[in-house]
Amino acid sequence: MSKVLQIFSSRRTWAWPYVLFMALFVVLPLILVGVYAFTDIDGHFTIRNFTKFFTHSEAIQTFLYSVMIAVFNTAICLLIGYPAAYIMAQEDFKTPKVMAMLFILPMWINFLLRTVATVELFNMLGLPLGEGALLFGLCYDYLPFMIYPIYNTLQKMDNSLVEAAQDLGANRWTCFWKVIVPLSMPGVYSGIVMVFMPTVSTFAIAELLTHNNIKLFGSLIQDYITTTDLLNYGAVLSLVLLIIIGLTSFFGDHDAKEEGGELV
Amino acid sequence: MRRDRYAERIKTASLKDKRLVSIGRYLIVLCLLSFVHSPVWAQSNLTYELRVGATGEVRLLKEFPESCEGEKVNISIGPLTLLDRSAVRPLALPDTLDFIFTSLEGRPGEVSVFDSIYSYVDESGMQWTVWRNQKEPKNRSQRVLVANAYKTFEQYVVTNTAAAKRSRGWIWFVFAGMLLAAGATYACTVIVQRRREKKLSSVEQETLRRKRMGLRRHYGSQLYLWVLLIVLYAPIALIAVFSFTKSKILGNWTGFSFELYANLFTGKADAGLNSAIWYTVVIALVAAVCSTILGTLAAIGIYNMRARQRKIVSFLNSVPMINPDIITGISLFLLFVALHFSQGLATVCIAHVVFCTPYVVLSVLPRLSRMNPNTYEAALDLGATPAQALRMVMLPELWPGMLSGFVLALTLSVDDFGVTFFTKGSGGLETLSTFIYSDARKGGLTPELRPLFTIILLVMLAVLIYINIRNNKQKNE
Repeated sequence: MSKVLQIFSSRRTWAWPYVLFMALFVVLPLILVGVYAFTDIDGHFTIRNFTKFFTHSEAIQTFLYSVMIAVFNTAICLLIGYPAAYIMAQEDFKTPKVMAMLFILPMWINFLLRTVATVELFNMLGLPLGEGALLFGLCYDYLPFMIYPIYNTLQKMDNSLVEAAQDLGANRWTCFWKVIVPLSMPGVYSGIVMVFMPTVSTFAIAELLTHNNIKLFGSLIQDYITTTDLLNYGAVLSLVLLIIIGLTSFFGDHDAKEEGGELV
Repeated sequence: MRRDRYAERIKTASLKDKRLVSIGRYLIVLCLLSFVHSPVWAQSNLTYELRVGATGEVRLLKEFPESCEGEKVNISIGPLTLLDRSAVRPLALPDTLDFIFTSLEGRPGEVSVFDSIYSYVDESGMQWTVWRNQKEPKNRSQRVLVANAYKTFEQYVVTNTAAAKRSRGWIWFVFAGMLLAAGATYACTVIVQRRREKKLSSVEQETLRRKRMGLRRHYGSQLYLWVLLIVLYAPIALIAVFSFTKSKILGNWTGFSFELYANLFTGKADAGLNSAIWYTVVIALVAAVCSTILGTLAAIGIYNMRARQRKIVSFLNSVPMINPDIITGISLFLLFVALHFSQGLATVCIAHVVFCTPYVVLSVLPRLSRMNPNTYEAALDLGATPAQALRMVMLPELWPGMLSGFVLALTLSVDDFGVTFFTKGSGGLETLSTFIYSDARKGGLTPELRPLFTIILLVMLAVLIYINIRNNKQKNE
């Protein structure tokens, strides 16, 4: 007993339970995804799952379509969100805090409920569900994630730089493109990551918004992984998604986390 | 002195008559309220609104009256054109197709009468079947029609009932009158303002004009934000407004009522919903408590590590935050499958601890760096055991960080869908979000979810406002 206490008297060791926990429930499962992708049902090594993916036109098409939808959604969110964040970050703007809060609030409400609400709104207005509804719903769900990081960087931006540019003869437009936009790029990057990653991996939303007409990659994975015989193939699809996510987070580097950590 | 007087006069001139403006505002709010509460929204005769969706499913847009339950109703639908997706040629269908509802449940979206809505045989003897909201036909020998072009909106008057027809006309008069009154008050304010302006000197008028120009530029950007907010909140507001009526379908206003709230709190709501709420609360509490303890200890450990170790553990810590829900969910699902763990409450709790703890670690770490690192050593030197030193020296300092981590873990856990979905197993365990999902897939939303949603919204709003006020106070200090 005293020996155990001895070990834990050094505070460094206090992280051990957590490291152990993470190794078991984060690292091991991720390795398992790879293991399952390379084995068949009986547990023998095979690459047939991969060849199946590359010859499976439905999977490839769905994958490309999902990436396209995610890119579109990210672009729309950026186009709508940047001006909003810019306006809110203006110094002479009235009550920016309250506004920013109002934009963040929907983020804390269950996204499924928001999606269902969107579906009901479309039904009530007599609008058809489909691709348009899907884009609207996705944009509606993830817009706050775009606005908030951009707003944060713009607000922290040193305003004297803008003033200096104006003193040196830049007009509003040049000032915006040459000074404000480059300075807000970290926020834009993290916004893009925070919108693109959940959109490309989304499932459940698409089914509700399009009456099962459009299937995104996430739903496809869900379909395969929950079918016992096709579990290994599902693992391959997850691996593909994991690679995409890895690439995106590499692109976004650490900015996303820095901004994301301040959501509260 | 003189400048002050100018400024004063400009100020009063630019202020619209406050009383008039406020009267106008009240009028607008009043007429909106009366409009929302008016019988325009209530159904006064028995009309069944059907919509045939893109996949051929039938949705009832209005409720069936209770009296019709169990009756057979033939509703014929007008001429339809269906497009066969594979053949890309329009198929003319018979003029009328009979929908026979053998049981009327009175709840829209759940006309689960039959799998195939109708079938018919064309000239060549081929049988066509339209399936209701199904991915694939059960019997592959039958071709599936996917309807692309429909008359999307049809109304059918089935029976007249003794239900008294309420006159709707008067409410429009009231509405129009109030709108007119609001417009008139606005016009008055403008006139009053103009008159006052005329009394000013030309210099003052010029200043006023410039000021107004500046404001107008401001108005444009503010308008943009407000439009965005309105669009963003429209679906939320829809649910919040319709939580105050007892109608089973959203969009059908049957008068103001607190019945859904009463149902929610007295447990009269759907049994599935009740258990989902309890499971959500239990899982959130367990996950939050576990992750707060684990995360705080880990944060202390990480803080005292050497740089390289620290880097590795921090990276490990960021993995669950970067991973999207579906990946975390699937990888854990595979782990439990591989270990032959039976999935249920325990696995969901573990999964929630996995993605909550990193956030706790992140909210405790800043507190640690703010604290004097020697106090703990000092406590040990003075004879405290590590446990005592932790409790009496560290915890009081770390408390705020732990609390915010705890709250964050709670909200994350309640909000989660993806991870829960893959780890809940097939034992019938549902949390609120998975319940909403399965409910929405059935079509329609359990009505009691609406008040629940409204309450969550208000609580979130209160918490955010509180945090905001507290932050402002701290900044001012």
